Amino acid sequence: MRFMMITKERKQADPDAMPDARGAATMMKYMESLAKAGVLLAFDGLRSAAMGTQVSFSEGKPVVTDGPFPEAKEVIGGYWMIQVNSKEEAIEWAMRCPAFPDFAIEIRQVLEFSEFPAEVQAAAAIYPRLKAQCRNRPGT
Amino acid sequence: MRFMMLMIPKGYEKATPGTMPDAKIVAAMMKYNESLQKAGVLLALDGLHPPSMGVRISFPRGKPKVTDGPFAEAKEVIGGYWMIQVRSREEAIEWASRCPGSDDCVIELRQVQEMCGFPADVQEAARGYTEFQSGRSRPA
Repeated sequence: MRFMMITKERKQADPDAMPDARGAATMMKYMESLAKAGVLLAFDGLRSAAMGTQVSFSEGKPVVTDGPFPEAKEVIGGYWMIQVNSKEEAIEWAMRCPAFPDFAIEIRQVLEFSEFPAEVQAAAAIYPRLKAQCRNRPGT
Repeated sequence: MRFMMLMIPKGYEKATPGTMPDAKIVAAMMKYNESLQKAGVLLALDGLHPPSMGVRISFPRGKPKVTDGPFAEAKEVIGGYWMIQVRSREEAIEWASRCPGSDDCVIELRQVQEMCGFPADVQEAARGYTEFQSGRSRPA
C-alpha cells in the first residue's frame, strides 16, 4: 500500500528561503535509509507557501490569490511517497525522520483505483491508463 | 518548472473513514485529468484517503509523538494532488483555473524546489538527492 508522508511546518518560510546544509545532510541520511529499504517511490520539497498561489472557485469562476497565506496555521513543506505493507510500517518510517522545530509529518494512505466502488470505477475508467501514461520523470 | 497542485476540498477534514468520491464529480475530474495528460504536462496524480484514516507524527523535544486522525485543529486538508511540468507560473495558474472545482474547494499551487536551485553547500550536502529521485518510481 502507498502512503504519502506530508511534512508540515508551523511558519511560512521567507519567499527565497533555502534549506541549510546541515539540515539537508541529516535529511539525506534519512532518505538514503528509505531508498535502501526499497520503500521510497518519490519525494519533493516545495518552495515557500509565501511564493505559492491559491485558486478557489466561487460560483464556478476561478479566483486567484497569491501567497503568503497569513490565516494558515501550518503549511506543507514537501512529501515522501512510500510503498509499505501496513500503516504501522508507515508510522515507523515517519518516527525515524530527523526532528526539526515546529515540524510534523502527516501520513495519508493513497486512494487506489481498486478501492473505488463499481460506479466510481466506471466513471474513472481512464484513470489507470492516465496514471500509466504520466510522464513521471525526475526533476531537472 | 514543476508545480504541485494541491487539492483542498472543504469538509474533507471531517470525512469519515472509507469516504469515497462521488461518481459524477469523478467523471468531470477525469476529463480534466485527461486534458492535462494530452497537453503533456501531467507528471503524477493521486487521491488520498481522508485524514480520519491518517496519522500525525510530531516531534516535541525531538521525540516522535503519534496522534491518530481526524485532526480536530485542521481547517484545510489535502484530498489529492497533481504534479505538473509547465513553462511558467502563469501556465500553472491557467491549468488550476480550468479544474472543474466547486465552491468548496481550493487548489494551492506550489513550485517544486529543484536541486539546481539550491546553494552550492546545500547541493554538496544533498548529493544523491537526484539519484534517489530517479532511482525508483513505480506505479501502484
